[in-house]
Amino acid sequence: MEKSHYADIRRFILINMILVPSIPFLIVIGIGYYQLSRSIESSTIASMERIVGDHRHMIASFLEERKNDLEMIVNTVSFDELIRPERLSSVFTQLQLTSSAFSDLGIFDENGVHVAYHGPFNLTGKLYRDTPWFQETIKNGVYISDVFLGFRNFPHFIIAVAGMENDRPWVIRATVDSQRFTTLVRQVRIGKTGEAYLLNSQGVLQTNRRSGGELMEKPLDTIPTPPKGDDIHTLIHGQEGEETFLYATAWLKDRQWLLVVRQEKSDAFHALYDSWIPVALISLIGGACIVWAAFTLTGAIVRKMEKTDAEKALLSQQLVGASRLAELGEMAAGFAHEINNPLQVINTELSLIRVLEEEMVEAGHLQKGESYEEIIDSIDQIKIQIERCSKITRAILKFGRQEDGHFESLALDKAVPEIIDMVQKKAEVNGIRIERRLPDTTIKVQVDPARLQQVLLNLLNNAMDAIIEKSGSTGGSIQVSVRDGSDGMAAVDVSDSGAWVVRLPWHHRADGRENGGIQQGGGRHRIHRGAAYYATEAMSTHKT
Amino acid sequence: MEKLKLMLVDDEERFLTTTEKLLKKKGVDVVTASSGGEALEKLRAHAVNVVILDVKMPGMDGVATLKEIKRQFPMVEVIMLTGHATVDSAVVGLKSGAVDYLMKPADLDQILEKANDAFSRRMGIEERIRVARMRGLMKSPRDILRNT
Repeated sequence: MEKSHYADIRRFILINMILVPSIPFLIVIGIGYYQLSRSIESSTIASMERIVGDHRHMIASFLEERKNDLEMIVNTVSFDELIRPERLSSVFTQLQLTSSAFSDLGIFDENGVHVAYHGPFNLTGKLYRDTPWFQETIKNGVYISDVFLGFRNFPHFIIAVAGMENDRPWVIRATVDSQRFTTLVRQVRIGKTGEAYLLNSQGVLQTNRRSGGELMEKPLDTIPTPPKGDDIHTLIHGQEGEETFLYATAWLKDRQWLLVVRQEKSDAFHALYDSWIPVALISLIGGACIVWAAFTLTGAIVRKMEKTDAEKALLSQQLVGASRLAELGEMAAGFAHEINNPLQVINTELSLIRVLEEEMVEAGHLQKGESYEEIIDSIDQIKIQIERCSKITRAILKFGRQEDGHFESLALDKAVPEIIDMVQKKAEVNGIRIERRLPDTTIKVQVDPARLQQVLLNLLNNAMDAIIEKSGSTGGSIQVSVRDGSDGMAAVDVSDSGAWVVRLPWHHRADGRENGGIQQGGGRHRIHRGAAYYATEAMSTHKT
Repeated sequence: MEKLKLMLVDDEERFLTTTEKLLKKKGVDVVTASSGGEALEKLRAHAVNVVILDVKMPGMDGVATLKEIKRQFPMVEVIMLTGHATVDSAVVGLKSGAVDYLMKPADLDQILEKANDAFSRRMGIEERIRVARMRGLMKSPRDILRNT
């Protein structure tokens, strides 16, 4: 077979063996990775939402508590009492005990006049009637401002609560230290880049941001304003030249402030990116396994095919040889036959010469003497040579006839011992035991007795030669067993001390009757082929 | 007593002439034919008892000739002369009514011996037939009596 033929088969098998398992493998990997990333993504977002929710709750509680602190003062202490500086001072001290976030405390009358103040600045007597925060407080009862500088020039926000005394409203106002509030807001930490900050409704920072962005500035990254409501919104947003962030937002303080928690996307989803590694590893190892298996198996298959083809080629070569031999035999038989015709003529001529010679002697035409004797001798010699030729042609013709084969029903258990007996003497001389394992029952098969004898003798002689060659005079043993398989197969096994085994198998009828029809044909074919094959096999086995 | 009259059939001319010469020297009456057709023709003209017939001949081969001889001249004995490879056809010949076969190269003595055997066999058969006929004639004297 041509090399390219094997290369084609090899390529075909290889491609199929790689592609076919790869498709489901890749699908599984793909689905697995998709589900994994989906689950990681949703769990990341869910945890972000949870953090925002918790944090909003905490900040809202803080503001609520501060407001409650002031409301408690309003409800428990009268306006007149509070405007006394020493009383205000003690109240402020009380207030600072509950929360250190307050940095000062002031009292305003109904006209917005700052009637009492406790804190680091001197603000007493200033008029606040027209300021928006004062009007808001009178109107709503409570006011929490955005962060602003005011005339203190220091970022802060205020909480104001309105009280009512004798139908006259008054207001208590406390300043919350923005620094402390920022610390509270910023205490969220998620991953490496997670941070939390507050924006007012205009998008101005209400707290410092760890990643940059000062208080009261508008941050460079403006996220789209989420719809007002209590829901938590998440979005992935990135501006040109900046990191992409995962944002989670929630409104608080009556939708005035927006709590933002954000984390760099790569940080938030690092588990997602990390999950690439096992997936890639599995793909790599799985792919390598598939390719390795494909190459190994393909190699094995192609080698096996090559071997089978080589055997086939050898067999067909042998077959051609055998048929040529048969042809040659036939030709030889033809020649021998043709030679017999001239031999017949010569023979007759010779007879004539003899008769004539006798006549001539009788008539006295020939003188007996030395020459006469030589002629007679020569004639005799011709007769002898004709006989020789005739023997040769007969031998050739006999040989040619044997090729036809002659099958008959034969009892193996009788025939095999008879054949063994023929070599028994030789075996004994060389110290070789021939062990016979014969069945009790009669096994009849269709076989050419001459051929069976030839094959078995061949095997036995080869086995004996092998033992003599190997062990010399120490001898050995040869096992010959006749087996009757339950599947209608009979076999003769020949083995020499386990060195090599040759089996002659063929079909037979278990009932031992003459096989007929098609079965007979099958049987014939079987032993014919088997015997011829094993005979050559046995000889070649011995040679190597 | 009848005498052996032999016919040789072979495509080898030289074999025919030499064998004829030899047989004539031995005092045997011989007719020769170089083909199956010629043999059948000559059988009509000559009262031949025994035919030595080559199995392998061009044209009408030995077995076909044999069958024809046996059909037309059942009282003629045939001996097949064969090269070894054609023993099978000699066997076919025996089955078709040949009395014996000879293997090439055959000696003249062998040929003559077998021919004589066949001839005496033929004579024996004819003798028996004659006896049987005579018995048939003599078998029913009562019939003869009754008829008279």
